[in-house]
Amino acid sequence: MSASTTSASQRLRTILVYAGMAVLLAAFLYPLWWMVSSSFKPGPEIVTSPLSFDPRHITLANYRAMFGTVPILTGFLNTAVMLVLKGGITLVFCPLAGFAFAKYRFPGKNFLFGFILLTLMLPTLVLVIPLLLEMSLLGWVNTYQGLVLPGAIDAFSIFWMRQVIAGIPDELLEAGRLDGCSAFSLYRRIVLPVIRPGLAALAVLTFLGVYNDFLWPVVVMNDQSKQTLQVVLSNLSQAISGAQVDLNPASVWGQLLAATTVATIPVVIVFVLLQRHFVRGILAGSTK
Amino acid sequence: MPMSQLAPARPRPAAGALRAAPPGRSRRRRLPLAPYLMILPFFLSFVAFGAYPLLFALRLSFTNWRGSGELRWIGLGNYTYLLTSSDFWASLANSGIMWLLVVPAQTIGAVAIAAALSRARLRGRGFFRTTLIIPFVTPLIAMAQVWILMFDADFGAVNTALTAVGLPSVGWLTTTAWSKPTIALLVLWKTTGFAIVIMLAAIQGIPDELYEAAAIDGAGVWDKFWSITVPLLRRAIAFYVVIATLGISQMFAEPYVMTKGGPYNSTITSGLFLYNHITTSDLGLGAANSFLLVVLVFLLSLVSVRLLRSKED
Repeated sequence: MSASTTSASQRLRTILVYAGMAVLLAAFLYPLWWMVSSSFKPGPEIVTSPLSFDPRHITLANYRAMFGTVPILTGFLNTAVMLVLKGGITLVFCPLAGFAFAKYRFPGKNFLFGFILLTLMLPTLVLVIPLLLEMSLLGWVNTYQGLVLPGAIDAFSIFWMRQVIAGIPDELLEAGRLDGCSAFSLYRRIVLPVIRPGLAALAVLTFLGVYNDFLWPVVVMNDQSKQTLQVVLSNLSQAISGAQVDLNPASVWGQLLAATTVATIPVVIVFVLLQRHFVRGILAGSTK
Repeated sequence: MPMSQLAPARPRPAAGALRAAPPGRSRRRRLPLAPYLMILPFFLSFVAFGAYPLLFALRLSFTNWRGSGELRWIGLGNYTYLLTSSDFWASLANSGIMWLLVVPAQTIGAVAIAAALSRARLRGRGFFRTTLIIPFVTPLIAMAQVWILMFDADFGAVNTALTAVGLPSVGWLTTTAWSKPTIALLVLWKTTGFAIVIMLAAIQGIPDELYEAAAIDGAGVWDKFWSITVPLLRRAIAFYVVIATLGISQMFAEPYVMTKGGPYNSTITSGLFLYNHITTSDLGLGAANSFLLVVLVFLLSLVSVRLLRSKED
């Protein structure tokens, strides 16, 4: 597709835009490349020549040492539990609430929906102290229910599912209604099958949010065996240097980079594979 | 948007509609129960984990509770203590500087980059967009750890590169002058791609004819950017500025991992300041701090929305 009327100046501009983008992408990808490539370098080389990468020296030593000192598998396990529980709750309850707001008329609807949007403005940080006290009152500190239940049914997910479900033609629902479907079977038989792409987007967004969540997990899960992946990552240098007699920065750096690589790469892969859904999800808030 | 994906499913149930509907069997109730049941879980959860702790925190903020013992009412003591405490104002100032370092440049940059991307007919735009968002989805904690190493004063990649070209090395995270910019750089790295994608989506709604008309009137690239792109993106810009302001006013994990607030308290953001009340068990004070922050964040969001809207009318 050769551009039809490219003047010289226009061509120059295109070249400049390409060059600018190349610089930008390099800046965006370099820290990730540095992390991954350094994690395969021998410890001393990471410290003495941080900019070079010699493929002949690739080693897994950092990874072997890291799995011995960092409780990263525990972190993955706890994050997996959190993902399943929180993801499950979000995917069951938020679309249902979105359906009610998108397709039903009932007294107080606008007020209640406005109220839900208002809770979006409430910073998590504000709730942390009283929530922690509530959890200790309930005996839920260091429990999965304490980790998962607060905030599992969140306002943004309801808002986003309402947008998706509003796109379903009313005739479709009317048909089901005339068939004698109850509200819930209408949802299960007609709404659920057609909102699958929206649900996929919600699932991807929830996955990324839960995987990267830090503030609440670090506050409520202080027992080492209950820490999520991100909390484990936040204590890396303590975990690594605490397990070692001699404090050799070279070895600490290698393990640290191995751990961050192991934690980062899965989420990047998930994103690249499912990015279509993700982009639609994050844009839902901005283009309404 | 979703409409197009829904379209194929349409014919089948429509056929079913013809079968049903015996005349006069309208079962429309005055007050439908179902929608209330559907939204009930959110409100139950909000009462349990939103309203209740919020009210509890409000009460707590008027006491000097330290996690155990009786609640002792001290009136506005916590609030007056905070409002006259230089540490509290220093934490707000640190967050304010962080905001200045990140939001204005990032927002303008994102609009400019999105404009360049959308006007030039580029190949591989999908690839660009995907790569731009990758930093946004990486775990913050992991990247903060990587940042510590890259910006290490002695062995870091950045200082090694600087000395290689004859520049002096910098104490990125160990000097008060550079600690904030270094953290701001991580925030910029992580979120700018997200900002660009938001602006790109909004720019696609601007009709090409506007630019063509301006070109006929002899407007240059610069004129078109300031008199067409920026004004028409006001909503998207306002949205992003509010989101970014909310995020930065709560910034906590970055300094928590990278500096623990140091050197010399230069990176104690308002979020980290609030968190520190938990570690020192000053829970009444922490609760009061939370409310001051909420009011501030709310005002900030309101102001940014107002500022960005006023020129429109």
